[in-house]
Amino acid sequence: MSKRKNDISRRQFLEGTGAVLAVATAGPALKVELPAENPPVTDSVASGVPSTAIRLVVNGTEHRLEVEDRWTLAELLRDHIGLTGTKIGCDRGECGACTVLLDGKPVYSCSNLAVWADGREVQTVEGLAHGEQLDPLQRAFVEHDGPQCGFCTSGQLMSAKGLLAHNPHPTPHEVQAAMTGNICRCSNYNRYVEAVLAAAATKNATASKSNSGRSTASTKSGAEVSATKGRRNAAISTTGAGGAR
Amino acid sequence: MKTFANKNPQTLEQAVSFVQQARKDGQTPSVVGGGSDLLGMVKEFLIKPDVLVNLKTIKGLDQVAPTASGVSIGGLITLDTLGTHPLIRSQYAVLAEAAETVATPQIRNVGTLAGNVCQRPWCWYFRNGFPCLKNGGDTCFSIVGDNRFHAIFGGGPSYIVHPSDTAPALVALEAKFRIVGPSGERVVPAADFFVLPQKDATKENVLTADEVLAEVQLPPGHEGRRSTYNKVLDREAWTHAVVSAAVVLDMDNEICRRARIVLGGVAPIPWRLPNVERLLTGQRITPELAAKAGEAAIVGAQKLSKNAYKLPMTKALVRRTVLALATRA
Amino acid sequence: MSRMPTPTLALLKTVGHATPRIDAVERVTGKATYSGDVHLTGMLYARILRSPHAHAQIRKIDVSKAQALPGVKFVLTHENCTVVWGAGSIAGGRQYVDEIKKTTRQRRYAFNNPVRFFGEPVAAVAATDRHIAEEALRLITVEYETLPFVLDQEEALRPESVKIWPDGNVSLDVKNEAKPEVYRRGDVEEGFRTADHVFEDRYTTTYVHNAQMEPRVSVASWEGDKLTLYTPTQGTSNCRHDMARDLGIPDEKVRVICKYMGGGFGNKNQNQDADLIAAVLAKETGAPVKLELSRKEDFIGVHGRWPTTQYYKVGVSNDGTLQSLQLRGYSGMGPYRKNSGGITGVELYQCPNVESTVYPVYTNRAVSGNYRAPEFPQGFFGIQSMMDDVAYKMKMDPVEFVLKNMTRKSNDEVPYSNYTLEDCIRRGAEAFEWKKRWHAPGAEPGAIKRGAGMAFMTIRSPLGQSSAVIRLDSNGRYTVFVGVTDIGAGAKTTMSMIAAEELGIPLPNVDLVWGDTDRCPYSVGESGSRTTDMTGYAVIEAARDLKRQIAEKGLPKGENALIASASPNPNSEGKVRKSFGAHFVEVEVDTELGRVRVLKYIAVHDSGRIMNPLTATSQIKGGATQGIGMALHEDLVYDQRSGQPLNAGYYGARIMTHLDAPEIEVIFIESDDGYGPFGAKCIGEAGIVHAVAAVGNAVFNAIGRRMKDLPITRDKILGAMA
Repeated sequence: MSKRKNDISRRQFLEGTGAVLAVATAGPALKVELPAENPPVTDSVASGVPSTAIRLVVNGTEHRLEVEDRWTLAELLRDHIGLTGTKIGCDRGECGACTVLLDGKPVYSCSNLAVWADGREVQTVEGLAHGEQLDPLQRAFVEHDGPQCGFCTSGQLMSAKGLLAHNPHPTPHEVQAAMTGNICRCSNYNRYVEAVLAAAATKNATASKSNSGRSTASTKSGAEVSATKGRRNAAISTTGAGGAR
Repeated sequence: MKTFANKNPQTLEQAVSFVQQARKDGQTPSVVGGGSDLLGMVKEFLIKPDVLVNLKTIKGLDQVAPTASGVSIGGLITLDTLGTHPLIRSQYAVLAEAAETVATPQIRNVGTLAGNVCQRPWCWYFRNGFPCLKNGGDTCFSIVGDNRFHAIFGGGPSYIVHPSDTAPALVALEAKFRIVGPSGERVVPAADFFVLPQKDATKENVLTADEVLAEVQLPPGHEGRRSTYNKVLDREAWTHAVVSAAVVLDMDNEICRRARIVLGGVAPIPWRLPNVERLLTGQRITPELAAKAGEAAIVGAQKLSKNAYKLPMTKALVRRTVLALATRA
Repeated sequence: MSRMPTPTLALLKTVGHATPRIDAVERVTGKATYSGDVHLTGMLYARILRSPHAHAQIRKIDVSKAQALPGVKFVLTHENCTVVWGAGSIAGGRQYVDEIKKTTRQRRYAFNNPVRFFGEPVAAVAATDRHIAEEALRLITVEYETLPFVLDQEEALRPESVKIWPDGNVSLDVKNEAKPEVYRRGDVEEGFRTADHVFEDRYTTTYVHNAQMEPRVSVASWEGDKLTLYTPTQGTSNCRHDMARDLGIPDEKVRVICKYMGGGFGNKNQNQDADLIAAVLAKETGAPVKLELSRKEDFIGVHGRWPTTQYYKVGVSNDGTLQSLQLRGYSGMGPYRKNSGGITGVELYQCPNVESTVYPVYTNRAVSGNYRAPEFPQGFFGIQSMMDDVAYKMKMDPVEFVLKNMTRKSNDEVPYSNYTLEDCIRRGAEAFEWKKRWHAPGAEPGAIKRGAGMAFMTIRSPLGQSSAVIRLDSNGRYTVFVGVTDIGAGAKTTMSMIAAEELGIPLPNVDLVWGDTDRCPYSVGESGSRTTDMTGYAVIEAARDLKRQIAEKGLPKGENALIASASPNPNSEGKVRKSFGAHFVEVEVDTELGRVRVLKYIAVHDSGRIMNPLTATSQIKGGATQGIGMALHEDLVYDQRSGQPLNAGYYGARIMTHLDAPEIEVIFIESDDGYGPFGAKCIGEAGIVHAVAAVGNAVFNAIGRRMKDLPITRDKILGAMA
């Protein structure tokens, strides 16, 4: 335990039902220097490991590179092209954080090999905005509080992008069905659905300010025999809840 | 992940020769379609391939084509394409619906029909690397273990359930599978493709290690035919079937002329219910008859310590599915 | 300083207004840098080898083949690494008490021998590439002598069960004594004797993993004798101090950085074993090390909500008034006590005779620890199911029963700083149309039945010490330095809003510096739902100081700056601060297929003044949805014969998906007790606390069968209907 003179350094606070002593130290607060992180990514293939020269287009830019055959597409994007916006949440095709568009369709980049993307086109979250101009989906995600922790957000965006490309005016249930391969453990599902619907409604227009408590999601009813079929079930009610102020 | 070399064949023959070459070189090959499941198994070291033979580079194996004797579907068609294909949706609804219930959109966008049919079991003992029959061991851990998701039909010595959604649909449609191997081709009826563990507990189908499921052939549609696939999941998406039912009815006005009913999630292979089919044949399907069909569906079922719930579930699912399909406007 | 007068909402310019997160653009463009995104020059990758046994003595480890693999730089095992992970096992579960971490008898090392659960670290490898590190793990041969194991918390207390620690399987309290946690008032036995009716029942809850989206990752780098650690932590200050203590170096020699993290949900307001292992590997190799956990490792190797077994005995008089209430509970802690293992809920009721005895018990399962409202949803499910059942048996409407018996004072003794529990319940019942939706249990005809349920909550909202620094430069920029990380609850935004409000400036004029112990003052950390209350309070104090300085000295010019700091330690003058809430749920149960679906969900909450309605609503929605998942799906299933978990991961644990998530309608009742910053009380955990109980009660109302064991899965519904 370091000795600090600062009165910030020792404290007592109530934790749960009992009084607990907690000790920690405070830094001097104003030393402002940036850590040396994220230098250009330069890793190359390991020797003796099968590798292949591939060409792929990522967010409109052509890349020709040598990849280890065992690299996943997620790994290639994050570690070797430096696009870390694509996240790896499970590495098993269970969560969707790694979702990218492959030739326009959402796929799990953790469950596809980089070498299989040879000759194909990849779009990641970094490719959504045009300069400072956010994609309408991104704007809607901001305004409707889509991201809580944000770790699933890139994947949610790419699934939504893939949906709106072929279905510009989805129902709430269609949004849920299209994005159901994207887990959000913060469980901000209502917000994501609300944001996608808003983006679809205001494509290229300025989305209206979000109402604090409003959300839209399906509350389906009926026997399961019909409910297991995504396409057929459209019993949706849209309600507005009061974030009463 | 362990190291492996990826091979991109241009033809099926070349794919087969890559497989043979690898084995000649003392290497372990794996044939891969969409790859979602296979890569997961490589990452878990459940399989340890030295060579991946990537079928995706073979052109033309992802098409739906009408033929003189029905429809030909390339084994590499993605589940998304299959599930949204107009011809499949209109003539073979049970298959389109089954494809749509698989996993998630991201998996359906790369996952193939052949891969779905041939996927390995999702038994949690197998997937967690227990030395079970499927992993080359000599016991099925579910017998005295946690068998809540295991078989009520056809079990022994392994009690896995077949994980595919499209497989029950294909058996119900009386599909045929064209298989390409080193000595040429063979065509196997879907019903004969799947193998019970009592015959061979190490695998789920008749494919040999150097064969590829290349094509699925469907017989032509039938006047008055209607079909559907219903699946019970234990969350609303992305689980394998707890129980599922693929039902094909050939209706003559209100009379059922022919029925095919195949269950998923209950047996080591897609589980056909001939006794239920007979019960329905030649009959008008009433709520009472559907209830009888449900009762008949679980005749011969054998429960394990934790999966007794699958019996009433199967009963209700068959009853509802048959009735809903028969009385559909 | 304790009371904090609050302006009326109409006078507030920033606080109280729905405001998108200040870092939302970073989060939607992929620019937000999480720990796993950090890439340092010359960085090595590390992987952990984990125990394949639930309980085993390691006889021998041979790492020679692994070490010989090209690219492998170092291998750690219990033989060459004896670092104690102080936060990993703490007598009494008092995770913030430094002295107890030092004195606890049941030490947990970074690598332990014996290993006491499947998935416990056995070795770690640093290599030039993550695949090489992974291959190297497979070259390590370990000789184990397997030991008997026990998985269930009740069974662990039977005399014939293996003793996981020499002291037995009741985990040690703060005095290193193996005793349960006991609370008593009145005399329960006397209460049962005089009660007109006595009811008894047993409830169980399961291990539910936090399952935050970002798997744990740690990047450690040494420059000379100073460690820099990038890690997803909910408390940079506490993490830094833990690292320094465990590594035996001064706090100043550790810098912890957490710019963004992919969810917390508890037990990250400290260091992790992964942090220590990465730091030691980096020291040994002289290179930065990134240690990544797989999703499966994160599920089985870290921690989740403790499973519980709860026995209740309840005495009531003929008019339905509670007379006596007894809980005997068992919490499965895994083989180490990271946290309290408490089971709360008895405090929800007004009752003259109460006794609660809770045993935190060692088992050979994955380690338990804090997950969003650590002691709450388990106990609230048990006791509010129990009370719902008592109301049913007493032929009372459950809402009337609650209104009659719910707490009015803390432990019937100490006044609350204000009290809106009744408002929450009445408001919710009205919005939900309770009288219309609730019916005699199981009364609906047909196979698909609807039912309504409710549950209510109080949760601690204490004040306490935290710190903030604000700097004003000559360009009119206000820079707020707070030691918060933003786990998803929006702390950065809330702190900025509070600063802007108090300083009377527009939000965009505030810059925020956060998540870096070398740049920020101490913060309590983002756990216990207290950042807004505690750090927010400090921000206000610092802002007031800055305003005083401006009044005295004028605005800064040229190179000059004004700097204000505050480290207040307010209290609520002996009153107990709580947030209140009530949830109302309608479900539909398919009694033939076993499916439960939520049709309507209304969550009424009083968390004091809502600082940011946009993010606060999201918090409640998320908490309630996680609660539904706990009620209906989640469990870590173990093979009883091998002690191996079977369903780790999002697929196996059936985490809620988009299609599972119903709409959560949120209603805030905003009261001001006069103590919190702008009237705020805690909110982050509030949404999950009673959600599980509300869903369970709705299922009972639908099918007329009480589901006593979580999760309420299809097999259990069908079993109950059989």
